[in-house]
Amino acid sequence: MKVTYNWLKDFLDIKITPQVLADKLTMVGLEVTSLEPAADDWVLEIEVTSNRPDCLSIIGIAREVAAITGEKLKLPRTDKRPTPKTQYRDFSIDIRDKKDCPLYIARVIQKVEVRPSPDWLKQRLELVGCRSVNSIVDITNYVLFEYGEPLHAFDLDKLGGQKIIVRRAKTKETLTAIDGKSRALDTSALVIADKNQAVALAGIMGGLKTEVGAGTKNILLEAAVFDPLIIRRTRQKFGMQSESAYRFERGINLDIVEAASRRAVELIEKVSAGKCILEKKSGVSGRKQSRVTFDLERAGKVLGVNIPALRAKGILSGLGFKLTTKKKSIFLVDIPGHRPDVKIEEDLIEELVRIFGYERIPTTLPAVKPRIITDNTRDPVSRIKNILVGLGLNEVISYSLIARQLSEKLNIETPEPIEILNPLSTEQEILRPLLASSLLGCISHNLNHKQDYINIFEVAKVFSRVTSEPREGLHLAIALCGTKPWLFPQGLIKDEAGILHIKGILETIFIKLGIREYSFRVDNNAANIGIYIAAEQVGFLLMANKDVLGRFQIKNKEVVLAELSLDRLFSQVNLLKKFIPLPLYPGIIRDISLLIKEELKVEEIIQMVKEKGRPWIKQASISDYYQGKQIPAGFKGLTISCLYRADERTLTEAEIKPLHAELTVFIQQKFGAQIR
Amino acid sequence: MSGVDIEAIEEQVKLEIPNIDSRESLEVLRVKYLGRKGILAELTARIPSLPIEKRRILGQQVNALKNKLNLLFSDKEKSLAANRNQSGYSNVDMGLPGIAQDLGRLHPLTQVIDEICGILTRMGFSVVEGPEIESEYNNFSGLNIPLEHPSRDVFDTFYLRSCDPDAKSRNLLLRSQTSPMQIRMMKTYQPPLAVAAPGRVYRPDATDASHSFMFHQIEGFMVDKNIRFSDLKGVLELLAKSIFSQEIRMRFRPHFFPFTEPSAEVDISCIICQGKGCSVCARKGWLEILGSGMIHPNVFKNVGYDPKKYTGFAFGLGIERIAMLKFGINDIRLFFENDLRFLKQF
Repeated sequence: MKVTYNWLKDFLDIKITPQVLADKLTMVGLEVTSLEPAADDWVLEIEVTSNRPDCLSIIGIAREVAAITGEKLKLPRTDKRPTPKTQYRDFSIDIRDKKDCPLYIARVIQKVEVRPSPDWLKQRLELVGCRSVNSIVDITNYVLFEYGEPLHAFDLDKLGGQKIIVRRAKTKETLTAIDGKSRALDTSALVIADKNQAVALAGIMGGLKTEVGAGTKNILLEAAVFDPLIIRRTRQKFGMQSESAYRFERGINLDIVEAASRRAVELIEKVSAGKCILEKKSGVSGRKQSRVTFDLERAGKVLGVNIPALRAKGILSGLGFKLTTKKKSIFLVDIPGHRPDVKIEEDLIEELVRIFGYERIPTTLPAVKPRIITDNTRDPVSRIKNILVGLGLNEVISYSLIARQLSEKLNIETPEPIEILNPLSTEQEILRPLLASSLLGCISHNLNHKQDYINIFEVAKVFSRVTSEPREGLHLAIALCGTKPWLFPQGLIKDEAGILHIKGILETIFIKLGIREYSFRVDNNAANIGIYIAAEQVGFLLMANKDVLGRFQIKNKEVVLAELSLDRLFSQVNLLKKFIPLPLYPGIIRDISLLIKEELKVEEIIQMVKEKGRPWIKQASISDYYQGKQIPAGFKGLTISCLYRADERTLTEAEIKPLHAELTVFIQQKFGAQIR
Repeated sequence: MSGVDIEAIEEQVKLEIPNIDSRESLEVLRVKYLGRKGILAELTARIPSLPIEKRRILGQQVNALKNKLNLLFSDKEKSLAANRNQSGYSNVDMGLPGIAQDLGRLHPLTQVIDEICGILTRMGFSVVEGPEIESEYNNFSGLNIPLEHPSRDVFDTFYLRSCDPDAKSRNLLLRSQTSPMQIRMMKTYQPPLAVAAPGRVYRPDATDASHSFMFHQIEGFMVDKNIRFSDLKGVLELLAKSIFSQEIRMRFRPHFFPFTEPSAEVDISCIICQGKGCSVCARKGWLEILGSGMIHPNVFKNVGYDPKKYTGFAFGLGIERIAMLKFGINDIRLFFENDLRFLKQF
């Protein structure tokens, strides 16, 4: 909403500069987004919130200025005039449904001279962003800006019959508006019609046929109120914008319609000659008076500052509220017609304090002892993220809405995804059922930007339908791609990301979260490795195949991926830690070095060592493994470190020696291994 | 041979020693005088050829010289060793790369969320997260947003396609704000309550440098018997100053939100130009950072709280906006592109 400094001055004395005025308006909730000098005047652009349609007018803003500065508002005097009897005495207004149009005032002005507007009129309209058309149209617009009540002038001689009908459009009825476009209407649209046809799209735009032009002699001036919803729907349906519709959609104060109509007549008679010879009115006269009880003491409690009664009364009456004292600090407040947004005491508290000044409310800290609500996922998620960051991974945040085709690229079976009813594009048509495809997208993007080593993860919601009900789950996905260079004094080690890297990352997480019963299950036919906690599969781990990578434009690179359900994981989290006493006696470490067939699983050998070594072997772990030049093809080299220890005494070398020799031979025979 | 020779040798060594700066050159000098073929060995070798009475004297003199030189050399060696301990890393090249596991990075948005939640936690707020699929009730009606409010349009909210053709359409949506957490928490718990709820929100905005169809918010609210507007100001001042700087100025401007009354938008003095006016703040000197207000009595009624008994405040802030201001990021799309060159800067 644009207003000018001088136009405001028509309605009150302003003794502050435009700059100070702009600041003050901003601080009472009418944010001035720009202030520009223009032709002996200043233009203020004001952002009016949706609850304040009264401020979509010069008078509305002037009223706020009056409340801020304490000056008196001077409204234009528009005296009622006697109406001579005329040939139009049979003229009638027919409102078919009062809900669609609660009030319609028509005035007939005879013998107008349609001419270019005088400079003062043109200039003011141009400053608030309205193009000048002719004196009649300009005056209707001028009053629209001044009062916030949209008006419309019809060429009376082009209206058929002495009748205005406010009705819904008929199915397939057409209307050519003043923008020259013909539109096919239906019963959702409200029109103004003469006895033959629709002549205007009510509240939005006039019709071309009855448009006021150079040849117009007699006009019918419409001042009405229309249902905001009908206006909005019709406007949206046809993609139209107009200053009138903008105001009707936000609601019109019934109290000002008559005054606006009279103001327009007065200006037309002055600027464009003519004489008003008839006025007709149909619809409600006046509105229901509403009244709110206001307790100033409670206001003080809600705000944290006490506003003196005299000041409070001054502010509220300055805004047009009428106060009656009921008890000490309790008032009955009559709500004026221009403030239908004020319905309850809290609304009045805001009215009071915004003029009093938010800056005059002190800053305090609340004295509360709020209950502690624990979120069972935030803490473990935060732990996981920090572990991953510590392991060198980078967190990504990618879109939850994706193209269906992106999800399908993965070749992983997923539950039925949830579709979006109103996506902006096919890029957002479903809620992703897995995170993995998004991570592949990130890897592809980074490879394009010449990153050699990409190690990323994301923790986010995934969505699916379970028996038609939408379900949200929290997932973690990790993706690694490329070769990480480790530079040591002994030389460069090129560490190519593989399955074991992800295994190591996941194990670190599991151990840190106190999850013990995890396992990675390799099924011969499965396309991926299952991640299990106890007997439940919580996720998968895989090396993306060439086809999948190709769909993401990833070439000559391997990508390892893991994705798991954190909801399932978190049911197993055990963050309780219990101290295990340190061993009292030293242990002895002895190694077994083996050469075994490639297909043998290390896990089985370790299990066997532990079992066979009871009770002395406390730990058995892989301390070296090797496949390559020095090892025959089809074999792998393995070193198992065994820790021998007794709880109640120091084991001696002599005791261990035969035990270890026996164990070594046993393992060798059991697994057909050679000792190296 | 005379005694003069002996003294000359000692003098010569005393002249040469101060120029020695390493153990190696000291050793060379030592070998020159005291080595198997050194100057002193040469002198000793001459002794047998001397007259008997001179043999004894020279023998004594050479021995004395040997002791003196040994002392000189060992002193010098000690002083060299002492020097080495002070600056003995001259052959370590600290320009070589250090050996350590690279740390990864939390996403800058996560860092900002964690920072804000950390501050709020210290003020007694509990941090909770809620679902991203919401009902129309929690996202709108419960928050006193009327049925015909434009924000409910398909232009402003993503709705889920119902798979049940009989079901009334538009009943489930992607939350367009984190405010529905007010409804969820207040329906579950009784006051006193102080909650911060961060998370993803969605709106069908065409993507450009300052708009994204997915972004993040934090909703904060507090409810008890005597919560005042002044408390809202105090909490937000502490929050904003902790996020940005103690030096910033703040202002609360009246505004309109359906779920708060009175409502306020909060500006901070521009952190780029310190309020003088620049392109970031559109020459206003102020940056809008959040919306807030006292919780509307209708919201309390909707969750079954008595609005006569309880008051409360709520605020909501956009994480991307805060992060962009804090880090000087000029394009919101960078957050979701996940370019490692971007992520590794934080």
